[in-house]
Amino acid sequence: MRIHQYERVWLLASMVLIVGFIATITYGAVGLGITMVDDRGATIAPDEINEDERFGDPRVEQVGDDEYEVYAVAMTFAFQPDPIEIPADSEVTFYVTSRDVIHSFYVVGTNTNTMVIPGEISVVTVEFDEPGEYGLICTEYCGAAHHEMEGQLAVLEDEEFDLTELEVEAPDEVEPDGEIEITATVTNGQLEAIEETVTVELGDETLEESVTVEGDESESVTLTVDAADLGEGDHDWTASAGDLTESGTVSVVEGSEDDTEGGDDA
Amino acid sequence: MSNVARQEDPASVERIEHDEFDPVGTLALIAFYFAVLVLLWLFTYFVEFLGNVPTPVVVA
Repeated sequence: MRIHQYERVWLLASMVLIVGFIATITYGAVGLGITMVDDRGATIAPDEINEDERFGDPRVEQVGDDEYEVYAVAMTFAFQPDPIEIPADSEVTFYVTSRDVIHSFYVVGTNTNTMVIPGEISVVTVEFDEPGEYGLICTEYCGAAHHEMEGQLAVLEDEEFDLTELEVEAPDEVEPDGEIEITATVTNGQLEAIEETVTVELGDETLEESVTVEGDESESVTLTVDAADLGEGDHDWTASAGDLTESGTVSVVEGSEDDTEGGDDA
Repeated sequence: MSNVARQEDPASVERIEHDEFDPVGTLALIAFYFAVLVLLWLFTYFVEFLGNVPTPVVVA
């Protein structure tokens, strides 16, 4: 068969192009370690999400030095948690599942994008080098308000990121001859110990204490004030740890049914 | 129409060998298409795809 020389050039060039396509994809997969989302994330019954240890409480969790896991749930028409806060320069693995129909989890402007299928857990591991704010949208048509399904992904500076929580237990009402006990509990969700200065204020009384909270532990600070010292009426209290603040009001009233503890509603 | 006219006039018909056919213009056009294709691929993969970090990676 006689093939014209230009035809030969064109055939050869086409071959080079195809080999080039395959070579770049191979380079991405082998050289750079780029992966596609597959079924390694196991399965989960969509109606048992609330009982699941991971997805019952959608959250960010630290699992190692600079290693975090995010358990997120997509549903019509929102993502949980929202916003998702993660640290920069850390390896973050997103585990995403759906409560109802097929959604997607797309970090806008990046290659981080996966389908979210009810019954399946999509697993995506990424590392954000720079802090920033990203939008999160669903790119699979999921219903009438699909266009409103969005979330926020905040990538924070390593120093700004923490999983510290402040919880305060205080009474609503106290007898004039009773004691007011305000307990501030600092919970450290990260693995490394943190130092926090906990301040509890009530009336003129201020308690300031430095606490060291071990990883995955919590520490409590209690301020006790005699109700008689404050006198009858409403008294505001404030508790703070780092940049977290909680506040409330305690009433000193004659004949209150609610005795100290619990902060339960009288 | 001009083809028909040429066939009617044997003096204007030129016969050439297979390899003497030399459509340089067509070759240039195809080479241009080819260059566009290669550039588009490089742009799509290396700029649009790899440029939009973070890209999900394999974790050992």
